[in-house]
Amino acid sequence: MLIGIDIGGTYTDGVVYREGKIIKTAKKPTLYEEIDVSLLAVLDDLIKDMDVKQVKRLVISTTLVTNLIATGRGERTALLLLPGYGLPHDLYRIGDDTYFLKGSIDFRGREIEEIDEKEVIECIEDIKKKGIRRVAIAGKFASRNNLQEKKVQDLFHKHYREALTVISSKVANRLNFPRRAATAYFTAMTLKEWEGFVAQIRSALQERNLSCEVFILKADGGTTPLDLSVFTPCETVFSGPAASTMGGKAITMDDKNAVVIDIGGTTSDISLLIEGNPLYASKGAVISGFYTHIHALAVKSVPLGGDSLIYLQDGSIDVAPYREGNAACLGGNRPTVTDVFNVKYRLNVGNAASSVKALQELALLAGMELDRLCDKVVDIVISRLTEAIKNMFKEWENEPAYKVWEVVNGRRFKPDRLIGIGAAARAIIPVLAEKMDLPYLVHDHSPVANALGAAVARPTLTVNLHIDTAQGVCMVDPGGIRQQVPRSPAFSMEEARKIALNFLQEIGKKRGMEDYLEDYRFYKEEQFNMIRGWDRIGKIFEIELQVAPGFIKEYRGVI
Amino acid sequence: MMKPTGVIFFPAFDWAISPTHPEREERLLYTRDQLFEEGIMDLPHIKEYKPELASFKDVLRVHFCVPSVEERIIEAHLVAAGSALKLADAFLAGEIKNGFAIVRPPGHHAMTVSHANRGFCDINNEAIMIEYVRKKYGIKKVAIVDTDVHHGDGTQEIYYNDPDVLFISFHQDGRTLYPGTGFTSEAGWGRGYGTTINIPLPPRTSDEGIHYVLDNLVLPILEDFKPDLVVNSAGQDNHYTDPLADMCFTAQGYALLNKKLKPDIAVLEGGYSVETALPYVNMGIIMAMAGLDFSNLKEPDYSQNRLRNGSSHLDYLKKLVEKQLFLYRNREEVVNKQYAENKNRFYVEQKSIFYDTEYLYEMQNNKLRLCPECQGYRVIESTARHRDGITYNVGCISIPVNCCRNCHDEARAVYIDMQEKARYDMVYLQDRIDDRYYSFHVQKGIEKVW
Ligand SMILES: [Zn+2]
Ligand SMILES: [Zn+2]
Repeated sequence: MLIGIDIGGTYTDGVVYREGKIIKTAKKPTLYEEIDVSLLAVLDDLIKDMDVKQVKRLVISTTLVTNLIATGRGERTALLLLPGYGLPHDLYRIGDDTYFLKGSIDFRGREIEEIDEKEVIECIEDIKKKGIRRVAIAGKFASRNNLQEKKVQDLFHKHYREALTVISSKVANRLNFPRRAATAYFTAMTLKEWEGFVAQIRSALQERNLSCEVFILKADGGTTPLDLSVFTPCETVFSGPAASTMGGKAITMDDKNAVVIDIGGTTSDISLLIEGNPLYASKGAVISGFYTHIHALAVKSVPLGGDSLIYLQDGSIDVAPYREGNAACLGGNRPTVTDVFNVKYRLNVGNAASSVKALQELALLAGMELDRLCDKVVDIVISRLTEAIKNMFKEWENEPAYKVWEVVNGRRFKPDRLIGIGAAARAIIPVLAEKMDLPYLVHDHSPVANALGAAVARPTLTVNLHIDTAQGVCMVDPGGIRQQVPRSPAFSMEEARKIALNFLQEIGKKRGMEDYLEDYRFYKEEQFNMIRGWDRIGKIFEIELQVAPGFIKEYRGVI
Repeated sequence: MMKPTGVIFFPAFDWAISPTHPEREERLLYTRDQLFEEGIMDLPHIKEYKPELASFKDVLRVHFCVPSVEERIIEAHLVAAGSALKLADAFLAGEIKNGFAIVRPPGHHAMTVSHANRGFCDINNEAIMIEYVRKKYGIKKVAIVDTDVHHGDGTQEIYYNDPDVLFISFHQDGRTLYPGTGFTSEAGWGRGYGTTINIPLPPRTSDEGIHYVLDNLVLPILEDFKPDLVVNSAGQDNHYTDPLADMCFTAQGYALLNKKLKPDIAVLEGGYSVETALPYVNMGIIMAMAGLDFSNLKEPDYSQNRLRNGSSHLDYLKKLVEKQLFLYRNREEVVNKQYAENKNRFYVEQKSIFYDTEYLYEMQNNKLRLCPECQGYRVIESTARHRDGITYNVGCISIPVNCCRNCHDEARAVYIDMQEKARYDMVYLQDRIDDRYYSFHVQKGIEKVW
């Protein structure tokens, strides 16, 4: 048996999956301040009257870290930047406790300016005096040489042992200094809180005699073992939308182009499956308005859901970006999007007469016929969704390209179908599909497909290598590993690929994903001859390979 | 809200002239590193666009490609030119406040007739963009400021007789550097006299010298000319570390230049110091165009010491500036006098053009119609022996976008006439009025229209 639990913004959903079937589901409102309570309530519901020894795997997706950061409840964190020359330093500031230090590295990893130890120590003293105990350290081009970041970290170890420090090259060893800085910053901010959550879960599971493997769903739709998640809490942001996308894939299991739409209470999350593969966000996850280096699926959130309130705005009917309660047909007081679809398409959701009554009252106020009011709301809902979907296609098609062949073979996204997920999908998706002239799928399990997606998701791993044979170094992400390579100008792409593959195996094994390491793909293989004068002095390689999002081996689909 | 600066970064990581040529895959590699590491594309000040392909027709609006556009032009050229078009569209649609196409291959040495690669260029990205916006948006007056260290001889030739396109190039003196032209005496042709302004700079001219020229010559002329569109042909080989030239310009100097010049569209041209100049100069230009403070931008090896040999050459430049201001201010007078005195129907000029990349010589016979109404059409007879051993004799007729009715009719008649003549292999007509581009294969008697 496999259990998946998705702790969403409004509801916490859970499923038990066994041999091709969902044998149990649970749904509880999410208690914002007590996420662990919501989680355990659903878990207890699921394992009630069940032999817990049968549970092989538990996967959790949660908004804990997202909430912590969004509500400013994260711990006060200092950010030490070594920005060197370039953009004005102020543009790199995150939060009030940002420090700018001397020290600079160039794109080849050469030291341009040394750090000033005295300056660093003064900075440490100041941080100490302020009582700040979390510190993120980020240097420009640390992804090419992290010596200076490490030196600064060492100084903390020496002069402020109690401080928890995170260096940017360790959490993300790829180009883009501000994204690396933000990733390190948010990691330092949430590390302890996440650790606390993990400990709570662990003891709660122990109390329930659950000794199965436990995983956390990441923003890229892959899983990571609970124990390892404590090093990279930020990978768990937006795991809810990722669960939905994986849910869409899980209920279809084919290689078509699809738009997955999770219509929740007040938001609709839209994602794309391209030939069955979830699309990644090209700029990483965006946390509190900051781009980060966290691998994430591309998800567009539209503030529109089944519970969105229908109201009169300056004399005309509109859909509010918030809810005031349940739909009238489900016991609420005021009409919502669900009520409108209920009436117009005779869906018989809950007490349909209540839908009519609530809408009739509003129609009277607006001086409109009930039919016209419903038409107008449906128009608004459908046009907002179609516009968001089309924008998503366009954004993907218009991603910058750096090679001739990429421009010549331009991208076009032609969807084969819509996949509806979430409680309100049944009402809205058929209408949307008709307007977009596309087939659609709303599965019986659509309301809990997100939890299913979590339950059966497999681990993912992306490895990036930058090799500079003139310097004889190789830089690896994740982990910020710096390794020597031969300075031979004869170094070939074949060798570069081999090194990359070794790292994938090594890192993957540490993450307990042996079963999936054969299923990798190279996404980037670039090589550049370095010519000085008329001589080739070396080569630069850029390699990316990945175990992409997918499902555990025993999952073959759901009936 | 402030509009962003549009950027197309197209390093063409899969295209090179040859593996060790300065125009190779590595050229913008470290610029990529710098731009990406700075995270400048993530800023709200910048909007990054995807390149697009220019069409053959866009190319033919400027060039006569011998023997044909399909045989001369490869996709890499179309992407570089297309990127400039895309930014021009975004600019004229009001999406961006200005745009910078960091693209390769470059284009400013490509002339009207294109037999082969010249000075690393096959087609002229800026001219293709300018003819595109003139046709599509009715833009009338354009100024091109060429800040590459090499004389922009291709762009100069294309607009030599066009009074509505002001071409200003400053560059290392042609006696000391490729292509060996760009002297003050090259001032334009026909009605275009005085709207070509060349500023040959002595080797090792510093930031101070170049900014003297900018402040006292370039900006005042622009102020007077009042162009509808300002284009910077943004070569970066004036930099003090460039291996092909010998100047002392810095990243700060380039950034400040763009801050003052305020180009609507900038297009990368040359610049071959791939590690020590391009990453910083490109950053500087983007920052300046986006209105960002660039005082923290500096080359890692920058020091006054390195630049000690540089000189502002102020005495020389003062005289030069005066001379060129005089040329510009008196241009209409000179043109009127020339047209009054000259009773011929045509100006005629013989030229030989060298294609350095492929070692080709082209002989040209140029005729410019001296029309009282307009700038007149051009007839170019051109001969060159290509690398494959084939010699092409071609006739080209170019009708400018602001051509008068008479010239339009006359030029089309010339096209028909020339088709009868067996001494041509190909005859081309560039009809910018109708936006139609013809090529006629004389022996086969086949015409192709774009
Ligand atoms: Zn040049
Ligand atoms: Zn005329």
